[in-house]
Amino acid sequence: MSVAWWLVFSVFLALPPTAWAQDERLTERLNPATASQVQQVVDSARRGGLPGEPLVQKALEGATLGASDDRIVAAVQSLHGQLRRAREALGGQASDAELTAAAGALRAGLEPSALRRLQSLRPDQPLVIPIAVLTDLVAEGVPPAEATRSVLDLARDGRPDDEFVALRRQGRAAGAEPMGRPALRPAADPPVDQ
Amino acid sequence: MSMSAEHDDALDDEVLRQVVGELRKPVRLDPSLDRRALDRIQAESHRIAPPASRRWGIWIAGAAVAAGVLLAVTLPDRGTTPARASAVALEQAALAGDARPVRLRLAAPTSSRVAVVGDFNDWDPAATPLRRAGDGGTWIVELRLKPGRYHYTFLIDGRRWARDPNSPPAAESDFGAPVSVLTVS
Amino acid sequence: MSDSDAALVARTLGGDLTAYAGLMARYRDRFGRYAFHMLGNREDAQEALQDSFVRAYRSLASCRQPERFGAWLFRIVVNRCRTVRRRLQRDRRFDADLPDDVPSMGERPDAFEWRDEIGQALDQLRPHYREAFLLRYVEGLEYAEMAEMTGAKEPALRMRVKRASDQLKELLRDVHVR
Repeated sequence: MSVAWWLVFSVFLALPPTAWAQDERLTERLNPATASQVQQVVDSARRGGLPGEPLVQKALEGATLGASDDRIVAAVQSLHGQLRRAREALGGQASDAELTAAAGALRAGLEPSALRRLQSLRPDQPLVIPIAVLTDLVAEGVPPAEATRSVLDLARDGRPDDEFVALRRQGRAAGAEPMGRPALRPAADPPVDQ
Repeated sequence: MSMSAEHDDALDDEVLRQVVGELRKPVRLDPSLDRRALDRIQAESHRIAPPASRRWGIWIAGAAVAAGVLLAVTLPDRGTTPARASAVALEQAALAGDARPVRLRLAAPTSSRVAVVGDFNDWDPAATPLRRAGDGGTWIVELRLKPGRYHYTFLIDGRRWARDPNSPPAAESDFGAPVSVLTVS
Repeated sequence: MSDSDAALVARTLGGDLTAYAGLMARYRDRFGRYAFHMLGNREDAQEALQDSFVRAYRSLASCRQPERFGAWLFRIVVNRCRTVRRRLQRDRRFDADLPDDVPSMGERPDAFEWRDEIGQALDQLRPHYREAFLLRYVEGLEYAEMAEMTGAKEPALRMRVKRASDQLKELLRDVHVR
């Protein structure tokens, strides 16, 4: 009997404690009106099957960095939009971590088509690392088209995650220089499509 | 256990009243702390076989496998009896799949304090101070982070924000501050 | 779940881990707060608290007054914090010089500054003074309870609390007046 109760309790413990209730972190750190507005966005995201935690963290980031209430709410709404578009690009099976990474990529100016292409090249593997690397390359100054091409090349070749990470290191070393093809690619290849 | 302080001279002081008021506020800790403690307890129960363990035996054996994924890191200065050593090994082996150790460092030799704020600590400047390390003006901290993407930044001397030169920058800064991104795989 | 500590302890000893989960939930916030202020950061506080929970479970049969489980657990927490603190002190090293490029930003909310200053001031107190101050004024213990918990005598504890209070006042008066 206590085994069954223990299983029930384990499930309960596994649930995030603040799911669907007013998040205390928001009420502690933001003024009531702002906390309420942010909470509405978070709830709306969750109802739509999107992760709410990145939105809460965005609000807390703004609070700590001393942003105005308007700016905080705008940033949270903006991220909500990016998460929605990320889900449109990757589909309903994408994990929360993939959606969050994809939202960051869209924010960085990458195209949804690039994300869809990446997904089609890696249908059975998590996409967090390739999307993260793609985003980071652009953030470091690599032109989006170039970064996209390099990452898709690796995906097409079925390379493992640590080679994507190595790509990012090359990109950081190169700075804003256009990236050459990574040394991993075979000599003769069909033209890259984007 | 009594919950209220009797009236004491020192609390007549306004500054101390404010300090105590601040210190009494709730402190947010990781909500999975309890669960991780329970997981460790279960893993050890499997070896130590507590008194009423018969009916738990089969379930614990199965749960130890699942619970193994959730066990936290132990530190090197734990006891070294055979039972403890194997419990430690189990925990460390089970680390894969959950929180990974991540070290952050910042060179700031002229600073008197450095903290990190980010998605992993609710952007709380009080939660995660760095400490000075041995090699000269470098500040470090060890975190345990689940796989994912984290935005973060350093707070220098309680006044200034600084990006992590060892990590990529966030592609866009929502709030005008320098923010870095960390990917844990 | 409104079972008494004694009832939950008894059930735990009978093999019911959900009862122990209940005990942990009952005390985690309060003792977590103490550990946080004693150790100065969330990571170490969580580790100390988690360790304390595990140790308390292992030695639960030796808790002679299960109706006072909280006080018994708190003593374990206080000791665990001392151990963790000693290890932190040992790991700290001081040195000098490297290039530093740190751009400035704008203003920060004052609330954090005040909390930060308090944390800094606490950090400067000798560990026994800090411990005594927290136990007395934040945890609201009587001196007799503090003596039982720490093993120190009451006059010594009163002295530590007084010294801690004086030092905190000194460190924070100028900050607060802002």
